Amino acid sequence: MSNTSSNTTGDESLITTDVETGSNGRTASSERTAVAARDLNVFYGDEQAIDDVSIEIPEKRVTALIGPSGCGKSTFLRCINRMNDMIEVCRVEGDVEFGGKNVYDPDVDPVALRRKIGMVFQKPNPFPKSIRDNVAYGLKIQGFDGDVDERVEESLKGAALWDEVKDQLDSSGLDLSGGQQQRLCIARAIAPDPEVILMDEPTSALDPVAASKIEDLIDDLAEEYTVIIVTHNMQQAARISDRTAVFLTGGRLVEYDDTAKIFEDPEEQRVEDYITGKFG
Amino acid sequence: MATDDSNAAGFGEVSRVRGIAFEYLSLGASVAGLVALGVLLVYVAIDAFDLANASPEWLLTYFLTLVVPFLLFCLYSAGDPAVTRRVAGVLGGGLVVVAAAFAAIEAFVVTIPRLSWQLAYLFVVVAPTTAYLAYVGSRGRVGAVGFGLLGRLVGGVAIGLAVGTLFLVFDELVWFLAYTLGVLPAAALYAYGSRRAANRAVTAAIPVGLVGLVAAVFLRGVVGTYPSDLIIYLWTLAVPIAAVGAFLVDARGSRVGAAVVGGVPLALATAGGFLAGSVGLPGPTTLIVIALTGVPTAVYVHRVIDGGDGVVGLGLPLLIGGGVLVGALVVEAWGVPAPDPWLDPGYVTEAPSRTAAEAGLYPAIVGSVIIIALVAVLSFVLGVGTSVFLEEYTAGSGVVGSLTRLLQINIANLAAIPSVVYGLLGLGLFANLLGFGYGTAVTASLTLSLLILPITIISAQEAIRSVPDDLRRGSDAMGATRWQTTKNVVLPEAFPGILTGTILALGRAIGETAPLIMIGAATTVFSAPTSLFSRFSAMPMQIYAWAGFPQADFRYGVVAAGVITLLIILVGMNGTAILLRNRAERGN
Ligand SMILES: Nc1ncnc2c1ncn2[C@@H]1O[C@H](COP(=O)(O)OP(=O)(O)OP(=O)(O)O)[C@@H](O)[C@H]1O
Ligand SMILES: [Mg+2]
Repeated sequence: MSNTSSNTTGDESLITTDVETGSNGRTASSERTAVAARDLNVFYGDEQAIDDVSIEIPEKRVTALIGPSGCGKSTFLRCINRMNDMIEVCRVEGDVEFGGKNVYDPDVDPVALRRKIGMVFQKPNPFPKSIRDNVAYGLKIQGFDGDVDERVEESLKGAALWDEVKDQLDSSGLDLSGGQQQRLCIARAIAPDPEVILMDEPTSALDPVAASKIEDLIDDLAEEYTVIIVTHNMQQAARISDRTAVFLTGGRLVEYDDTAKIFEDPEEQRVEDYITGKFG
Repeated sequence: MATDDSNAAGFGEVSRVRGIAFEYLSLGASVAGLVALGVLLVYVAIDAFDLANASPEWLLTYFLTLVVPFLLFCLYSAGDPAVTRRVAGVLGGGLVVVAAAFAAIEAFVVTIPRLSWQLAYLFVVVAPTTAYLAYVGSRGRVGAVGFGLLGRLVGGVAIGLAVGTLFLVFDELVWFLAYTLGVLPAAALYAYGSRRAANRAVTAAIPVGLVGLVAAVFLRGVVGTYPSDLIIYLWTLAVPIAAVGAFLVDARGSRVGAAVVGGVPLALATAGGFLAGSVGLPGPTTLIVIALTGVPTAVYVHRVIDGGDGVVGLGLPLLIGGGVLVGALVVEAWGVPAPDPWLDPGYVTEAPSRTAAEAGLYPAIVGSVIIIALVAVLSFVLGVGTSVFLEEYTAGSGVVGSLTRLLQINIANLAAIPSVVYGLLGLGLFANLLGFGYGTAVTASLTLSLLILPITIISAQEAIRSVPDDLRRGSDAMGATRWQTTKNVVLPEAFPGILTGTILALGRAIGETAPLIMIGAATTVFSAPTSLFSRFSAMPMQIYAWAGFPQADFRYGVVAAGVITLLIILVGMNGTAILLRNRAERGN
């Protein structure tokens, strides 16, 4: 962890939310680590986007990544499932460990890695296929041999979408509303039963009602999956996450701790300023 | 400073003269071009169908038995009194205006050759109105059903004839073996696999199919006895088509319907195939045509009746068929002189002849159909393959990247090379070097494929590029390989666009003559090609040859009939492709 400052502040809660922080009551210490980064540096050409980040993300918890725009949250997320490989100018130094293995080792097949890590994007991006085919996509490409329909149903239930679409599984995924599309993408991500789910601002394109549905969903997902979520919404981070990592400009991880601690009593003045909206 | 002033005078004026001038100039230019083309086509049609000799009584008869019922059908489907009033106004007013204008021009300016005011009325007023009404009518449920049925009937016949034509040059015995050993087992495995969600069966389908195909080629010479052609066509084409139809209806939950939809056309096709010989028709082709027309029609009729919406529309083919029949009877009884069209059944089924009256386009039609089929397959496969490689697989930097860019620039340049040069390339490469022979269908197809390949590649690239990156990233993040993303997400999305480009390119290929002349294609052959390596002719070549004949009958009638045939085939081909594309788009 890289929170090294000694700058303490008062203990009043910095933001007010209706929900108490860490509402799910999962204890946020002494678990196994799902994903860890060690001395991670990422460059786009000459520009550095992640600066010497080390972090350990616990299993079956919701970890929120927050920070101002351009501070490297998405970049960090993409390092975990090696989606950065697609960006030609991107160069990664250091380790990202998943399941005890450095994913940047030469013998790691990024495609196989991604089959263990689901991802949900900022803008819902269902395929122009039927709802059923969307959810079954991962199963299809992985050569799943079991009962596809059963798995589709389970996943849609897991994404709290089943009741709304169970009669129209053959209609196009694009005919759904934005919020439903995003839940469809979540169903698609969980269908192959990954270990980790990465979410990059999954609710920023949605209205508050749809967003709160997804928030509830994320809470349930953490029963089974490790969820790592990037968000710009402080209340959201406070409501749904167990741990929060604060990145600041330049791609530095300035503080990483239990969510309650970050929002009530951060170590760093800069973090407090960011959370209370004084900058960023 | 001058706010008060300008407010007082409104907001002032901004000159739009240049924009308006531009707008009308471009409008004028395009209208002039379209009118010129329209006049040409009118005269070509008049020549091809000998309409100049059609008596007004003949025209009136068919107008009343064919055109008016069709217009009424469309109006009924549109169900909009405003449209009805407008159409009545246009038809009535148009009659007066055209007649008056025609008389005035004849009296004061020039005599208009080979055109009567009735014909002018037909082309200027009736034809556009009919087209417009067909469009409006097809948007109503009844009209949509009618046109859907008509399309399946016509399309089925056309595809059936094309398949029959292809078997003139392709060996049906190889196809028999390939189907039995490769296609059928592979399809069965695939169907079983996707039903039971058994991925291994699905994966095995492709290798099994390939092994079967290879085995077929080797066994062709080994196996001594084969069933008759008719049995082969029945087994390899009619039965699977009927099975697919029955399956589609079964999926809608109707067992009895499935049996009827599959069984009746199959029985009809078999009967037709065996009886065709006695009336002088080729049995196998008859069988395919009936199967390919009957099954889709039956599936469609079942769907419409099942849905119960717009069932009346199913009467449209009867209306049109009945109209033609009644018209013929009336003309016969009335004894009015009928035109003697150049474009008649004999024209499209017989070989060229020394006399204009007996001249036929059959060998050239067969040649063109075969070439186009080969070009379509070759350029589609190569074009899609290359564009996928260029868009999805190559790196943007390094040696490979530079090579790709070089390739890219050259493909763009290739599209601009004159077609004679491609002819020369075909002559040197395919005819000479590879020994495919001068003027053979293979040489011609390969040459024309090369000619349109750049256009296909560029348009396919465009289509692939327009697939949103979001979708690719979504698929990649699921753990799809590059190939899986391309196959499952990119290509289905890009398919309509790819098809559009291919249609345009094929339209160019079908009309080319220069490269065909270069590779030594014959202008006239007297029998249809029997193999891919026999001498052949193509429609544009034959038409070009006729245009040089000294007799006027050739230069007008026969050429015009050829042009119309070429256009009909082209429009039919494009129509099919456009329907396919729209389906793919709706499938999304
Ligand atoms: N594909 C890319 N090519 C080059 N530079 C990039 C690329 N993606 C991101 N960057 C740079 O990396 C830095 C971090 O970007 P990143 O997208 O990770 O930020 P972020 O924290 O997700 O911001 P936001 O909250 O706006 O999404 C930025 O300075 C950005 O300019
Ligand atoms: Mg981001």
